[in-house]
Amino acid sequence: MSQSLEAKVEFEDVLSWIKRIGSDSSSTVPLLQAVQSKYGYLPRAAMDMIIQNTDITGSQVYGVATFYSQFRLKPVGRHMIRVCHGTACHVTGADRLDTSLRHILNITDEEQDTAENGSYTIEQVACIGCCSQAPVLVIADEVSGNLTGANAQRALKKHAKKNEEIVANI
Amino acid sequence: MDVSNLNVIVGEGTCGIAAGSKEVIEAFQKHAPEMNVRTVGCVGMCHQEVIAEVNDGNGNRHIYGNVTKKTVPQIINFHKGEGDLPEKQLIFSPDDQDLDKWRYLAHQTRIALRNVGYLDPTSISEYEARDGYKAIKKILAGMTPEQVIEEVKTSSIRGRGGAGFPTHIKWNFAKSSPGDFKYLICNGDEGDPGAFMDRSLLEGDPHNVIEGMLIAAYAFGASKGYAYIRAEYPLAVENFGKAIKDAHELGVLGDNIQGSNFSFDIKIKEGAGAFVCGEETALIASIEGDRGMPRFKPPFPAIKGLFGKPTIINNVETLANLPWIINNGGEAYASHGTEDSKGTKVFALAGAIKKGGLVEVPMGTKIRYVLEDIGGGSSSDLPLKAVQLGGPSGGCVPENLFDTTIEYAAINATGAIMGSGGMIVMDGTTCMVDLAKYFLGFTQNESCGKCTFCRIGTLRMRELLTKICDGKGEMEDLTVLEELTEQITKSSLCGLGQTAPNPVATTLKYFRDEYEAHIKDKRCPAAVCKSLITHTITAADCSGCSLCEMQCPVDAIEGQKKIKGSYVIDQAKCINCGMCFEVCNSKAIIVQ
Ligand SMILES: Cc1cc2nc3c(=O)[nH]c(=O)nc-3n(C[C@H](O)[C@H](O)[C@H](O)COP(=O)(O)O)c2cc1C
Ligand code: SF4
Ligand code: SF4
Ligand code: SF4
Ligand code: FES
Ligand code: FES
Repeated sequence: MSQSLEAKVEFEDVLSWIKRIGSDSSSTVPLLQAVQSKYGYLPRAAMDMIIQNTDITGSQVYGVATFYSQFRLKPVGRHMIRVCHGTACHVTGADRLDTSLRHILNITDEEQDTAENGSYTIEQVACIGCCSQAPVLVIADEVSGNLTGANAQRALKKHAKKNEEIVANI
Repeated sequence: MDVSNLNVIVGEGTCGIAAGSKEVIEAFQKHAPEMNVRTVGCVGMCHQEVIAEVNDGNGNRHIYGNVTKKTVPQIINFHKGEGDLPEKQLIFSPDDQDLDKWRYLAHQTRIALRNVGYLDPTSISEYEARDGYKAIKKILAGMTPEQVIEEVKTSSIRGRGGAGFPTHIKWNFAKSSPGDFKYLICNGDEGDPGAFMDRSLLEGDPHNVIEGMLIAAYAFGASKGYAYIRAEYPLAVENFGKAIKDAHELGVLGDNIQGSNFSFDIKIKEGAGAFVCGEETALIASIEGDRGMPRFKPPFPAIKGLFGKPTIINNVETLANLPWIINNGGEAYASHGTEDSKGTKVFALAGAIKKGGLVEVPMGTKIRYVLEDIGGGSSSDLPLKAVQLGGPSGGCVPENLFDTTIEYAAINATGAIMGSGGMIVMDGTTCMVDLAKYFLGFTQNESCGKCTFCRIGTLRMRELLTKICDGKGEMEDLTVLEELTEQITKSSLCGLGQTAPNPVATTLKYFRDEYEAHIKDKRCPAAVCKSLITHTITAADCSGCSLCEMQCPVDAIEGQKKIKGSYVIDQAKCINCGMCFEVCNSKAIIVQ
């Protein structure tokens, strides 16, 4: 499954980011952010291109990529779901949002976070700053708050319908 | 009646959008295209979102809360003179200025937040209309850097990012530090997971933060600034970016500002999701393109900081107070608050509270006043139990200490900290051991790994807390937790490790009985810890709706559809996820 989600990296894209952002060592984080915002994760090929075409070393690229929680080294589904696990969301039931979404997406393996059909990836984030509407999640760019597990499923189904994705269970 | 002379103002922060502000705006445009609709930042009455104001441009304002696309026609009809006042939605009107709902704002003293919710953050002219960029113009027209520092000294403001260090002293270090190139960094990392003061400022009043940066930069002589903004705040990045551009065009940012020889520019750096990057030296390493690891101080950043240059890091809220202080004088600011702590402080209220949102109050206000008078108390039938201040670095304050005043020293005396302003309110449904486990999980995950005690110690604490939550704890574990608290606090390099044990220390101090219930009685009093609870169905209450069966992720529930009382939970399969409890409308599911 993960193979089919592997992104094809365009050399021109990476070069244009280097041109826009810079090739010195302080550009490491923004360059990786540009890569990830395009592909959803950091494809090996893109990191290699950065190493070959800038002053940034391999150990710096990998050091940074593994240090910050924002960066992902594994391919992701076509859409991201970010479930907030900040304090307010934790005490108001963030776990239930995870449970209900994993259920509807039929992700049963605890190690996995992407649905078998490559539609959605569930990511846990620290806080998105809408704490008084906890628990909160973000599907693609859309924030929804004051959710129950069933509401979360409803929000996902709505998004899936609009984007012609199939969600598995229920 | 003609409504074409009426303005509609809708609050549109991240959270307003989450509550549905886009739909409300569309509804106004659809049902009354002749009205003039515009958006503003979020006023911070999160519990009332979506909020819409209708005014006639002459100060006659009607403000409505909990507006949905369905209630919009009712509001329009009322203003057309064709329908009744939508009383349920009304928060404020010229005839009714003392509604209970309005008191949420009326009982606050807004200085840092003075513009949030009143202006369109993407419009520099609206900022100017509210005294915007007046302070920096006043400074450039005739105040020396020393006079600016003196004014800030008079205000007695202390850093709002958590540590509470007097702002003017910090600036003086950097000012007297040799070198003609200095940096100012605005710390918008807002790492406390459960706080959103800085988001609302960056998003809802970005020019105020920029003007604050200009004032600070002028005072200690910085020529370049960075705004380090948390990755999860895309709207803040967008609005702040536009504000920088507009400020350039207006000539209040860039080279030779207002024809003076003061030049200053700002660049945005987006964070990448590491809590430790809120720490000054880690933040600097992160901007330089490295892993965000703190380093030993001295040298302090004010002497040797970003790219080796003298650097000052100030929190967003600290900066947001500065234009007001320059315009109104340090004395006016210092007239709020107490001897120990001057001015106001912004808090973000969330959790089991009726009126969650942003609250700015004078220092010296009682915690109880914030939670009960402004926040409206518990959102459930259960009384409040505690409030967590300062996030993972802070501690909980139990209900019997709610009369503590909000001052640095008084809060420290409880074992909690002022922190950056997160207030997570808890009722009986929060398990304090689970909460401590949650925070230690967070800090352990976020530890940069440099110091052994922080790295291994937090892991040990987390393991012990997990063991207790799983019902396998022993009384000796509490002693070990206390020992670890002391060792980690003493042997950690940066604030993350030094404060990581605080949530454990305070819950152990105030809620030892909950720990003991988990250990001795194998019972979780709040019914949270999954290994110590069971879900069962009371047959007499079950309507046979089958909702729970559909929601159970492990197929632990069986019964016959539409047959009352037929549903039962297979305890061997149940993982106590709580989904069935949440969906059952008949309250037939018992958790204990
Ligand atoms: C682990 C850690 C995280 C921190 N996170 C933040 C943060 O998110 N925002 C912030 O302004 N300060 C944070 N601080 C405090 C800053 O290091 C620094 O003291 C502050 O930004 C200084 O600004 P101020 O003097 O205006 O408060 C953090 C400190 C530590 C040790
Ligand atoms: S205390 Fe923790 S986070 Fe801070 S430097 Fe040491 S290991 Fe890193
Ligand atoms: S608590 Fe969760 S696992 Fe247990 S019966 Fe209810 S839904 Fe199923
Ligand atoms: S949801 Fe409640 S009422 Fe419906 S079948 Fe389950 S236990 Fe019975
Ligand atoms: S804790 Fe979830 S949005 Fe802040
Ligand atoms: S509703 Fe906007 S700050 Fe909460």
